[in-house]
Amino acid sequence: MSSEIAAGRVEQPQSPAERLHVAGLHAPSDAILSVRDLNVRFNTENGIVHAVRGVDFDLMPGKTLGIVGESGSGKSVTSLAIMGLLPTTAEVTGSVRLKGKELLGLSDKAMCEYRGNELAMVFQDPLSSLTPVYTVGTQIIEALTIHNPGMSKQTKEARAVELLAMVGIPSPKERLRAFPHEFSGGMRQRVMIAIAIANNPRVLIADEPTTALDVTIQAQVLEVLHTAQEETGAAVVMITHDLGVVAGMADDIMVMYAGRPVETGAVDDIYYNPRMPYTMGLLGAVPRVDVAEKSSLVPIEGMPPNLIHPPTGCSFAPRCPLASDACLEGEPALAPVPDGPLHLAACIKSGSLGGDVDVLDVFAAPPVPVSRFDAIPREERATVLQLKDVRKHFPLTRGALLKKRIGTVKAVDGLTFDIREGECFSIVGESGSGKTTTLLEIMEFHKDQDGEVVIGGISNKKAADARAKSAMRRELQMVFQDPTGALDPRFTVYEVLAEPLQNAGMEKPAIRKRIMELMKLVGLQPDHVNRFPNQFSGGQRQRIGIARALAVNPKLVVLDEPVSALDVSVQAGVINLLDKLRAELGLSYLLVAHDLSVVRHISNRVAVMYLGKIVEIGEVDRVFDNPRHPYTRALLSAIPVPDPQLERTRERIILQGDLPSPLDAPKGCNFATRCPVFAALPKTKQEKCLTLEPPLLPVTPSPAAQTLAADPLPALDQRFACFFPDGEIDEDMLVVHEAADHHAP
Amino acid sequence: MLRYLAKRGITYVFMIFLTTSAGYFLAVSSLKPALLEQERIPRPTPEQVANSMRLKGLDPDLSPWERYVEWLTAIVTRWDWGRSPNGAFINAEFGDRVWISTRLFLASIVLTLVIGVALGVYSAARQYKFQDRVITSYSYLAYIVPAPIAYFLVQLGAININETVGERIFFVTGISTPGLEPGWAQFIDMLAHYAVPTVAITLVGWGSYQIAQRQYLLDNVNADFVRTARAKGLTRNQAISRHALRVSFIPVAQSIAFTIPAIFAGGFFAEKIFAWPGVGSWSIDAISLQDVNAATATLAYGSVIFALGAILADFATTLVDPRVRVQ
Repeated sequence: MSSEIAAGRVEQPQSPAERLHVAGLHAPSDAILSVRDLNVRFNTENGIVHAVRGVDFDLMPGKTLGIVGESGSGKSVTSLAIMGLLPTTAEVTGSVRLKGKELLGLSDKAMCEYRGNELAMVFQDPLSSLTPVYTVGTQIIEALTIHNPGMSKQTKEARAVELLAMVGIPSPKERLRAFPHEFSGGMRQRVMIAIAIANNPRVLIADEPTTALDVTIQAQVLEVLHTAQEETGAAVVMITHDLGVVAGMADDIMVMYAGRPVETGAVDDIYYNPRMPYTMGLLGAVPRVDVAEKSSLVPIEGMPPNLIHPPTGCSFAPRCPLASDACLEGEPALAPVPDGPLHLAACIKSGSLGGDVDVLDVFAAPPVPVSRFDAIPREERATVLQLKDVRKHFPLTRGALLKKRIGTVKAVDGLTFDIREGECFSIVGESGSGKTTTLLEIMEFHKDQDGEVVIGGISNKKAADARAKSAMRRELQMVFQDPTGALDPRFTVYEVLAEPLQNAGMEKPAIRKRIMELMKLVGLQPDHVNRFPNQFSGGQRQRIGIARALAVNPKLVVLDEPVSALDVSVQAGVINLLDKLRAELGLSYLLVAHDLSVVRHISNRVAVMYLGKIVEIGEVDRVFDNPRHPYTRALLSAIPVPDPQLERTRERIILQGDLPSPLDAPKGCNFATRCPVFAALPKTKQEKCLTLEPPLLPVTPSPAAQTLAADPLPALDQRFACFFPDGEIDEDMLVVHEAADHHAP
Repeated sequence: MLRYLAKRGITYVFMIFLTTSAGYFLAVSSLKPALLEQERIPRPTPEQVANSMRLKGLDPDLSPWERYVEWLTAIVTRWDWGRSPNGAFINAEFGDRVWISTRLFLASIVLTLVIGVALGVYSAARQYKFQDRVITSYSYLAYIVPAPIAYFLVQLGAININETVGERIFFVTGISTPGLEPGWAQFIDMLAHYAVPTVAITLVGWGSYQIAQRQYLLDNVNADFVRTARAKGLTRNQAISRHALRVSFIPVAQSIAFTIPAIFAGGFFAEKIFAWPGVGSWSIDAISLQDVNAATATLAYGSVIFALGAILADFATTLVDPRVRVQ
């Protein structure tokens, strides 16, 4: 076990100054970065916001510290304070020492000595973090020039090429002259990493480096970060809200809440033995992609406190199911927990918590709802939505007046699936795979569409007049990704919910009654109907969006990324609500989501899309536990799991490159260009993938099982489109991190 | 690039042809120079008027279509834009006036741009400080005050200086003093004539560039890529001047590109107030003098200038923004 987190080991002295002094004396001299009693205050119109309140940590050379927290917990502000990049209006106190030298209080000019040299940072949004008007070469070389004024032009250019190669950018020499807009998001993040490690930093801070990226690209970038750390030997501070991302990388974890660290310790202690109810809740709130067994997620009710008013008791107490009167008497200090001196938690009850306490009991997670349809076999349930060979091709044209067709983008290319009563069907895939276009095609519901859409027995081919359309709308409703953008800010909740009911021709008293019902149904207080959307939190707004969709009693609800804009703890509540509604009202869902853990948790069946086609479809546990298509396998292996031991030993398929442009799609199998199996196939077999399009075929039970069974076994509910599902995975695309490095206890 | 230029060029030539033709029809059917002629003393007979008009190619008895064909043929075959009712040739008159407009505006537009952009950057770097407030307030004032009033104020100021000194240092109107020997004396005379209009137009003009440049720069000062540049080890000011400035200049460059051709088109108020007979005042005079050919020529010229501005703006954008590619 490592010994990075040392703060608070001493008894808590009274005044911050004294505490700082003691902490400074006891700080390990070999720490590369020591932060003591870091406080950040912003003077805003509403008062002073105390965004970071006493952060302490020590970072040892070459180690990784994960800072975990939800939005507003102060994790990004902490990192910017260390870098000295906060606006001058921010008041920063405490101590930040890099190799023993104090950084706080240095002028902007003096800080420049360290920034980009010994202290480097990778930011969240790669799309906006590079200057659009300079080539990436210029921007990398700039980082070298600032700190090595004497370096010759050739040396700098050679180093830039070396850096680009190190972060995995193909033909780095040519790409040096490319502009940021010629790179994809993942590639730009690689360039950001190259800039950050240009001068071999001792400390690399990564602030949500993969949040804006697809899972497959996230896996690539995490891999690059790993390489970068190995090459430079830098210590890494990894800031994230995703407990999965840091599980495999971090040596230590610091969980932040309301601007303070509430639990710190070695990664295994935090994940397997959390001692602070907030950490337990966070871990329980995340659905797992690798677990089939269904249990409800842990919802953490309420909202983080407003940091304008200093909390008098434990800042988590208002949301904590274990809170007692003692919790409200002063903020608990970060103190060692019984199992080890290096594991600290800010909870007066940490002694009674631990590995064997079930988080589901603590947070009183609701029981798993059971739908009346669960007992009925799928074939006997009515079909609520059916798609038959739906296509959407966009012509790609050139020229302003006389348009010349130069190609076709096959956004959706022959989709066939159906959704039965009471089931949740999900579509997953990277951005650009055609998920959203599929939803739009269903909502479009027009006679001239290519392919047939049948909603609740109404086909777009047969009855597409206004009457049929309005009948169709009553069968199908939609919940959108961004709850804030989807609600008119000048409508009260009552007006938002009344609108669909008025359209349906309902009487006023009935509308009022129905709205009260809906509010209760989605877990909102009925007397809040006269409030405006901005008076609700993000999770509550999404509940309003769900209530609006349910107003007209639809059979099918289309959910477009319903929880991706929400924080983990809030997300759990919304997912539980969706689960409950499906069971109670017998709803069917069509869910589009990029988070496969959420998909696994909530869905019954799933379709994996790649470049407009379904490559694998079937019952969710079958597809996730026994993926047949190489793309499904790669997607699943790219998802980080909040389980450090599993993460460290897991085999990962890292796909090369990005989703190809639909224009360059090969004639045969779409996936051949990135396929890990294809790369390892002999030439003769590769030919087949390149020329023939693999059909979507059902998985048949193995011959052994066939002979054992008395009756012929039925085909399983899983189909996939691949000629060589059992092929070897190319070794270059397989990554296994050594389990036996410094993590061993 | 050449192909792009050719394509854009053809499109614009077509558009200019359409606007000019439409303009000609409008002018020929509403402007009646013959009526003005008849108010002369001694009053000429209608036959005399028609005859004199016919000689200048302005026959009022022909139908608009016949006159249009005649006018167009002359332009296409001989590049002859016709004559004014007073007998002047449009081609010659136009050549003189373009040069006058250009001389009047060239210096002031260059000064306007340089001062406006520089002050924009300066005030953005000192947002909400005293200097920023003074500069930006002035710019808004320059926006609000109508240009003619500002020009008059500058003229009054110049006259005041002249009176205080007791000698005529500045000329507030006119292009030059006639009859001066070429050489030093003529040069000083030119400067004395130039100073007042140039100062006046510059003082009024820079405000819009200052406001635009300040705004665009402030939009970029807190951009993510500026933060990245600082994280590399640049100071805040270095990061702003190397990264934010170039990006913020993209929209400004576009508006500048549209301004440059306008130099040649001149401005009505400035030309009238400072008594410089340029294209701007000509276009207005042409209407009051019922001058069909001059009105159409200035209209055609305006369209050409606009097309040039649009092409220049495209150029300027491709020059400063690598994301834009010419196709």
